[in-house]
Amino acid sequence: MAPDLRRWLPPVLLLAAWEIAGQLDIVASGALPALSEILGRLWVDRADYPAHVMATLLASGAGFAIGNLIAVLAGLLFVMSPVAERLSRGLNIAIFALPPIAIAPILTLTLEGMTPRIVLAALGVYFVTMQATVTGLTHYDSRAADVVRAYGGGRGAVLRLIRLRGAVPAILSGFRVAAPNAVLGAILAEFGGGGRFGLGAYLLGSLGRGEPDRLWGIGLVATLIAGLSYAVFALISRRMLGASIALSLNPAAPPSVQLEQASLLLVVGAVLMPFAVWWAILWALRVPEMLGKTPWGVVDYLFLAQTAPTAQARLLAALVQTLPITLVGMAAGLAFAFALAVAGRLTPAFTRAFLPVALVTQTMPLVALTPLLVLLLGRGTAVTLWITISVTFFPAYVMIAQGIAQVPRAALELPRAYGATGWVELRLVALPASIPWLFAAVRLTAPRALLGVMIAEWLATGRGLGNLLNQSRGYLDFGMIWTVAVVSVVISVGFYLLASWLETLVLRRMGMALRE
Amino acid sequence: MTAPAGITLSGLSKTFHGRGKRVEALRDVTLTCAPGSFTALIGPSGCGKSTVLRAALGLEPLEAGKVEIGGQTPQRATAAGITGVAFQDAGLLPWRTVTRNIALPLEVLGRDVGPAAGRIRDLIALVGLKGYEDALPGELSGGMRQRVAIARALVSEPRVLFLDEPFGALDQILRRQMNIELQRIWAKTGVTTLLVTHGIDEAVFLADRVAVMQSVPGRIVDVVDTDLPRPRDAALFAAPHFHELCDRIAGVLHGA
Repeated sequence: MAPDLRRWLPPVLLLAAWEIAGQLDIVASGALPALSEILGRLWVDRADYPAHVMATLLASGAGFAIGNLIAVLAGLLFVMSPVAERLSRGLNIAIFALPPIAIAPILTLTLEGMTPRIVLAALGVYFVTMQATVTGLTHYDSRAADVVRAYGGGRGAVLRLIRLRGAVPAILSGFRVAAPNAVLGAILAEFGGGGRFGLGAYLLGSLGRGEPDRLWGIGLVATLIAGLSYAVFALISRRMLGASIALSLNPAAPPSVQLEQASLLLVVGAVLMPFAVWWAILWALRVPEMLGKTPWGVVDYLFLAQTAPTAQARLLAALVQTLPITLVGMAAGLAFAFALAVAGRLTPAFTRAFLPVALVTQTMPLVALTPLLVLLLGRGTAVTLWITISVTFFPAYVMIAQGIAQVPRAALELPRAYGATGWVELRLVALPASIPWLFAAVRLTAPRALLGVMIAEWLATGRGLGNLLNQSRGYLDFGMIWTVAVVSVVISVGFYLLASWLETLVLRRMGMALRE
Repeated sequence: MTAPAGITLSGLSKTFHGRGKRVEALRDVTLTCAPGSFTALIGPSGCGKSTVLRAALGLEPLEAGKVEIGGQTPQRATAAGITGVAFQDAGLLPWRTVTRNIALPLEVLGRDVGPAAGRIRDLIALVGLKGYEDALPGELSGGMRQRVAIARALVSEPRVLFLDEPFGALDQILRRQMNIELQRIWAKTGVTTLLVTHGIDEAVFLADRVAVMQSVPGRIVDVVDTDLPRPRDAALFAAPHFHELCDRIAGVLHGA
């Protein structure tokens, strides 16, 4: 009874505090309604919800299915053919790094009906599942593979009998992480693309009415859907995993297939691939030239056309506002994650209390969260920072905590055997050991930071790239819409590559291995 | 069961390169195992005995030398289903039941699993796992998993059996039991067997001949015949002649 009580106490206390604060209108003069008020409003609006929820479920479900199908097949292809993997690396990083909010307007311009929502949801799941598939297929039990090979089985037999089935747990965990992404993608496209139904459209329609309780209600429902989608796959993978835990640790990792040398041709191909795909899609869909800008069209708009100087000036002004806050937000998010991981190591009780709350904020679709934060924090720089921190800290925290947790017991206990305190132990052993994970966290959170900043700019502060995108939508300035999308993808990819480069540099000097 | 086939290893040589160092793993390893014989390959850790076995199965590329199993290359012999193998780790697939794990070689060889159901049942009984047909590896003890691996090695009705320290991870008591069981199975099937081990008593108890290896470079330094009568049972472990043989091999191992 007692441990159970301790586990439930923090969330219950939090909910109680929320209720009291809401009833007394303490926070931002009523911007945070009491839980009971929100639930009451949900009940009043209950007739509105089914159509919106259905639309969101349909789009995110279809996107989830299509995106995952492509992702698993792509993962399979990349494992079978290192050349294909190398060639597609640029495209993969671009898909991973692209801020969904930047391409939502483009998708609504070029595609019709539900398609933009489905595409954005599919884009949200692709990278996660593809990566999980590759990891699952690559890390197989070499001893079991030896058995198959000892009976004359070739690569095909090893793949069919061992690697495919062995990858199932990894793929399922990919689905689990990807599921809330699909919901987020669908809601973002609904929000940025118009249309009558969908939670994003509902949110957009309710924004101007100054009814915090309804906004909170929509946010809660969106969070619930995203959270449930995560839970469903968590449950499925737990059931499947029962039979698949490795029996003993395999000391020898399977030999990794490495290309001798990344030939220049492959590198150039990898860089050109995203542009080729962009061109090919426009061509295949027969998008009118005015709406769908080709890579050349963007160059023309930004450098050659008569309006180019003004376009450049506007873009530059936006970048000057966006970039610094992105870096500051990312640094703050990482620092917060780091502090949290350290606190978790020193006082596990704190982590236990805090983590469930953090988990809920992570499944909360960002677009739904932003209006609520605006209500609480106003429209200043603070709201941008908070949003950026909230999108970056959790993945970073998970990474860093994993790094600290993976230090072998024996290494940790050595300082302790000489009477070291928790802090000394952390400083001497745990922190240095978790450096590879810290770098991986930087690499993974950089694109998310830009996404957070742009969403905040679009919805809250009216500054920078996010605002430029929103304005251009209003003016039907298609050239600028495409330019912002391209520039934000390029910045994201740039951050990612910069972080990877630093990571390789530092780890090589420290003689440590890269963490995928 | 089809007639056993012999193993001929002639002049196997191999060098590992790594981090600027050259390690001569095998130098001119030559060994012939007559059809139906039981040969043990013994040596200290890292002397290359597992490499010999993997090379015999065609899993390890060689710089020089030739392997013949029943007169064929290892690639042809393994693909034809002439060989059976059990490694130090059982290497079971965690998602397959005992029965389906044992059937794995048949699937790799492209044979029908259906008609073999009876034989798989018999093999499970032979290794003493009756009642565990549908158990998953995670539900078995280490010794039981190792026995599943032995049954799997026999399922293709091999004419040559390769065993790479199959009982290396077991405790001494279980190991003796498994030795007695393996002896019984070998007597029943008459399959040509090459056993890699670092247990002197295990080698002497099971084999007709014990080939002793030494390391750096990995090479065979002596072949000792064990002229112990068959069938052998647990009482043999206490026999004076058994210990004489063990001492002799220990002498060779320590470079006397």
